[in-house]
Amino acid sequence: MAAATTKTVDFNAERALAKDFLNNFAGPRGEPKYLNILQDVANRKIRAVQIELDDLFHYKDSDDEFLQRVTENTKRYIGIFADAIDELMPESTEAYVVDEDRDILMTQRVDEGADGGADGTDPQQKMPPEIRREVYIKAFSKVTPLTIRQVKASNIGQLVKISGIVTRCSDVKPLMQVAVYTCEECGFEIYQEVTARVFMPLFECPSQRCKLNKAKGNLILQLRASKFLKFQEVKLQELAEHVPKGHIPRSLTVHLRGELTRKVAPGDVVEMSGIFLPMPYYGFRAMRAGLVADTYLEAMSITHFKKKYEEYELKGDEQEQIDRLAEDGDIYNKLARSLAPEIFGHEDVKKALLLLLVGAPHRKLTDGMKIRGDLHICLMGDPGVAKSQLLKHIINVAPRGVYTTGRGSSGVGLTAAVQKDPVTNEFVLEGGALVLADMGICAIDEFDKMEESDRTAIHEVMEQQTVSIAKAGITTSLNARTAVLAAANPAWGRYDMRRTPAENINLPPALLSRFDLLWLILDRADMEIDLEMARHVVHVHQNLESPALGAYISAARRVVPSVPRELEEYIATAYSSIRQEEAKSNAPHSYTTIRTLLSILRISIALARLRFSETVAQSDVDEALRLMQMSKYSLYSDDRQRSGLDAISDIYSILRDEAARTNSMDVRYAHALNLISRKGYSEAQLKECLEEYASLNVWQIHPNTFDIHFIDA
Amino acid sequence: MVGPQYDLVGNPLGAVRATFERAAAAESGGHEPVAAFRGKDWGVGEVFRSFLFEQGGLDMIPVLDESNLGLIKPNTLVRFRGMVQDILGNEFYVGAFKDGSTWRTNKFSDSSPFSMPHPCDSHLWERHLFHCVPVPGQNHWTRESSPGPDLRKMSSCLTSEQREKRKRDAENDAMDVSENGSEETSSSSKKAKDDGVQISNSSLQMSMNEEHVPEMNGVDHHIPGSSFSCLVKVYDMPESQVKLNDVSEFIGVYTFDPELAAPSDNSDDIMFDLMEDVTAQLPPSKVPRLHCLVWRNLSAHDFLPRAPAVEPSPILLKSIRQSLLSHLTLILGKDELAAQCLLLHLLSRLRNKVNVVTVGRLSLNFTGFNRESVSIFGNQLNNLFQRLLPYSQTIPLSIEYLNTATLQPRKDNRSGRLVTGVLQLPQGTHLTFDETLLQSGSLTSKGVENTMLLKNLMESQKVEYDFEFYKLEMPTDVQLLTLSEGKSNILPSDLVVPFRPSSVPAVNVSSEELESWRWYLTTVRSLPQSTETETYQMIQDEMVSAMREDRSLGCSELSRWLTMAQITAASFGEKSLSMEHWQMVKELERLRKERLQ
Repeated sequence: MAAATTKTVDFNAERALAKDFLNNFAGPRGEPKYLNILQDVANRKIRAVQIELDDLFHYKDSDDEFLQRVTENTKRYIGIFADAIDELMPESTEAYVVDEDRDILMTQRVDEGADGGADGTDPQQKMPPEIRREVYIKAFSKVTPLTIRQVKASNIGQLVKISGIVTRCSDVKPLMQVAVYTCEECGFEIYQEVTARVFMPLFECPSQRCKLNKAKGNLILQLRASKFLKFQEVKLQELAEHVPKGHIPRSLTVHLRGELTRKVAPGDVVEMSGIFLPMPYYGFRAMRAGLVADTYLEAMSITHFKKKYEEYELKGDEQEQIDRLAEDGDIYNKLARSLAPEIFGHEDVKKALLLLLVGAPHRKLTDGMKIRGDLHICLMGDPGVAKSQLLKHIINVAPRGVYTTGRGSSGVGLTAAVQKDPVTNEFVLEGGALVLADMGICAIDEFDKMEESDRTAIHEVMEQQTVSIAKAGITTSLNARTAVLAAANPAWGRYDMRRTPAENINLPPALLSRFDLLWLILDRADMEIDLEMARHVVHVHQNLESPALGAYISAARRVVPSVPRELEEYIATAYSSIRQEEAKSNAPHSYTTIRTLLSILRISIALARLRFSETVAQSDVDEALRLMQMSKYSLYSDDRQRSGLDAISDIYSILRDEAARTNSMDVRYAHALNLISRKGYSEAQLKECLEEYASLNVWQIHPNTFDIHFIDA
Repeated sequence: MVGPQYDLVGNPLGAVRATFERAAAAESGGHEPVAAFRGKDWGVGEVFRSFLFEQGGLDMIPVLDESNLGLIKPNTLVRFRGMVQDILGNEFYVGAFKDGSTWRTNKFSDSSPFSMPHPCDSHLWERHLFHCVPVPGQNHWTRESSPGPDLRKMSSCLTSEQREKRKRDAENDAMDVSENGSEETSSSSKKAKDDGVQISNSSLQMSMNEEHVPEMNGVDHHIPGSSFSCLVKVYDMPESQVKLNDVSEFIGVYTFDPELAAPSDNSDDIMFDLMEDVTAQLPPSKVPRLHCLVWRNLSAHDFLPRAPAVEPSPILLKSIRQSLLSHLTLILGKDELAAQCLLLHLLSRLRNKVNVVTVGRLSLNFTGFNRESVSIFGNQLNNLFQRLLPYSQTIPLSIEYLNTATLQPRKDNRSGRLVTGVLQLPQGTHLTFDETLLQSGSLTSKGVENTMLLKNLMESQKVEYDFEFYKLEMPTDVQLLTLSEGKSNILPSDLVVPFRPSSVPAVNVSSEELESWRWYLTTVRSLPQSTETETYQMIQDEMVSAMREDRSLGCSELSRWLTMAQITAASFGEKSLSMEHWQMVKELERLRKERLQ
């Protein structure tokens, strides 16, 4: 075969090494891991012995070269390990039920064993050990799997680990592994090991007795005594994210044997380790195929996996890019701006969407209660303000995202449906968009036009993050741990400022309160924006590049920040002040509940994640409060007017209140900036306010630090 | 020194093998002489490249197409120009084996001329398989640019002696195979062996009687409208050089082996039910094989006649622009505004693309057409496109078409192949949609899918290919023109122009004119552009003042203006954009807006 080993390897020595490993390898608790497995095999509890390369690597006497040889010539080493296992195989310690024909044959043979004497040396009369056990070698668990495209001719014979999606599965069929014959003349059983898919049956008895007598004993194949192996063929296709631009996915045939069969179904995303082998052709096929060898992967282990952000694989120089971005102080603004570059402006909306992509970690309390970490955002606005474009862009960036409309494109709808399979007449559960977006983002356009049934179900999805089904005898609960990004059109064509958002979107307040941020997108026009827009258009034409957004986000999502104790107080105060403000107002239109508090926490944590910080800082909380304030301003006309008309005096009253609250005459500048930015004011406005009131001798401004000192009148 | 002593056209494999044996002998001192040749060229590529491109050998090589398939001798050098329709992955083959003490190679061929000793030292090498088809929508003029020698004359040279020789070779091969077979099956199965030999013999005779002519009657359902395709095997290529939908020229050894062409008989072979075997689905009797020695991607430039290189000076380009523009005006019934827009549209190309944002495209929608005017002006336009552009297609947009046509390419996991759709197109294709055929009616779910595909193509220049378990987006660069009665809402174009013809076109064009226009379009589209920041600064100010005048202006309009200005600059052969061009576009826009009211 190909790639004949250059060095001659002493296989007896290798077997000794294998035996030594099997005998002496200690599991995590010091138990002899493999001897225990062998005992289980001897006791007929399991059939397969899986040798993990991880164990071989950690074995105290491990030898790198031996490991190398095992990975590069795996098929041969399976044989060596199998031999070692057979030599070590203990006697069974438990009685087992004799349930198979060959067991009966075997007991018979053991009984007769003694008188077989003369012929005992003939290998074809010995029962091959394959009948009792299967041996697999499992690849390193930590190695990054190859894509199908990376498996090359040089990998032939080697143990490789690959990832892909299963596109087709054959039926499970029996494959003869050991053929058993009986001889009409001498009565001996003859065993023939079958290593390939096709084999040539024996016709003449090879036993010494028959040979000596020149009897040419007729052999009869004993199907019931032969050993068959379950065999399944599977097609594996490259995952979409591994396909280079402008190419199409490759596929690979995988052979599953024995215990590995029936582990996968079409559509499963799996990671397999196995030996990459050429497939010999037989008979007529060999002639037609000429010199071509087909290849396949003989599977050794299968792992199912679900793709999440955290498992995003970094390509090329992305790690470098992330590091560079992380060092940049202005990362928050920069990433926000690079979201949907073709959509101009709406920077706060983009910031919110960035935080939605990053999210906060899910928390599970000790009593089993779960607190969601996903941020939900609802965008409202007049038709034609690029809401749908924003949604689609977010889905593009998110590694796992589903875009759908409230009406849903299929009968399954948003949540899940029970459907009757047309072929089998069985009821099957089919997940809708929200279930499909589990561990990702679900963008729902036309949220207001949702079906009534979905609308009720979405309450559950948005807080408990599950979808419960009780239909047609199926009662179950599906996971839907997804961040919901909704877009809705106003109920009366255009957004009516005099009405509440709830009236405008025609959605119940209970549903609206589940969104962390609601945003109204309006087209505003002024000179500054015109210039910005022109600059933006020209910029897009000059140089358009996509930053490593996806990579950065997935890296950020690995961070689990905590809230330090001293900040808890701060957040609580901020929360209660929002509540008080609301109580003061004669027409409260916001629903500040405990959910709001959780939202503040979630947004703050997402901001800390963006900075790759393990702890939430006060600036994160301030930014979170600012975003919430901005979102409120976008919704309520009177708030907007207030902010627009009299920013200066409002800032003054904020500072005055703060001084009164802390019972001091001084407010530090940095603190003042935090306070006002929470309310959505800019630093420029603060400066203006400081100057104006300083000239009125209301306060004094420190010339260097800008700290404020009230002059008591 | 190697070159001339072989007949590279008639017996390319001779050169391949001789160079290999020499190279292997030179390496024989080493520990593993042949291992070094895996995935590498031992000098044979150089021999052919210098023969083809330096010694003018290219013109001696016949172009493989539907018409001459039966006339070309197997194992000779051919050329094939086509689009990569499907990438079938890698094939592993016995690249080199040791015959006694000499190493032999099987590279660039389907079978070995020497019998392989059964257990022998051999090396598995790999090659890439591409399924190539004639380029969809390829216009006739592009084929004239590089014709091969007339084969009908050549075929008479195929002497009976050569035929005899081939026959013997083939028989030898068959013998070898059966010998191998018998070794494999050890002994006793005489019956099986006899059967095997009989089958191969009969099939051999059958195909010998047919004089090695592959039958073309079977229509391959994968390529609607064409039964011709070619399986190209490319060697030693770094990964991802040839991409899906690339238009390439492959020069290599054409093989056709009757014994490999025998009908497949593995219906009883239930064990192989999952094995997608390309050789079974693309039988050599229908799909010729080409073992590629030299390949290159083709751009629009490669279709222009190999004229002396002309410097694209602005003066020359300007004059051609004028003649082309006046011709377009004539064709469009003296509607100059429409002609100007059409020129910009024809010169547009995708300059940049990130995610869903595209820069540089300019899709055009002529409104005011009805069925009668389409039959006059539409046909004129079509004729022109066919004579000016390398690839162009017209799609009749009717309810029935939308509901029935297969636009989306789809992977058939059963056969393991990509089933093509109308929207599997090479870069640079021009598509004309005739929306006047559309009437009110209801779309089926397929119709909705198709309209979504078209809309996506319009808006973001990408086509989603269906891979059953996921969709994969393929970037495209397609120019899109829509002819409709009112503004098309199914296909939202960048530029909507009401069409106002004032006369019926009657025009004649000379072939020189056509040639110069083709050259102009190709050259202008590939001109590099660089504009100073000051100009951009001025344009920025212009945009701001324009927005103050017209509050309805948005990002998309401004972006389109800038694109149009850039194309206008290029159309005059200018490398950088100036305010003059910006003003021209503004004037054009003003005229267009007047019409829209």
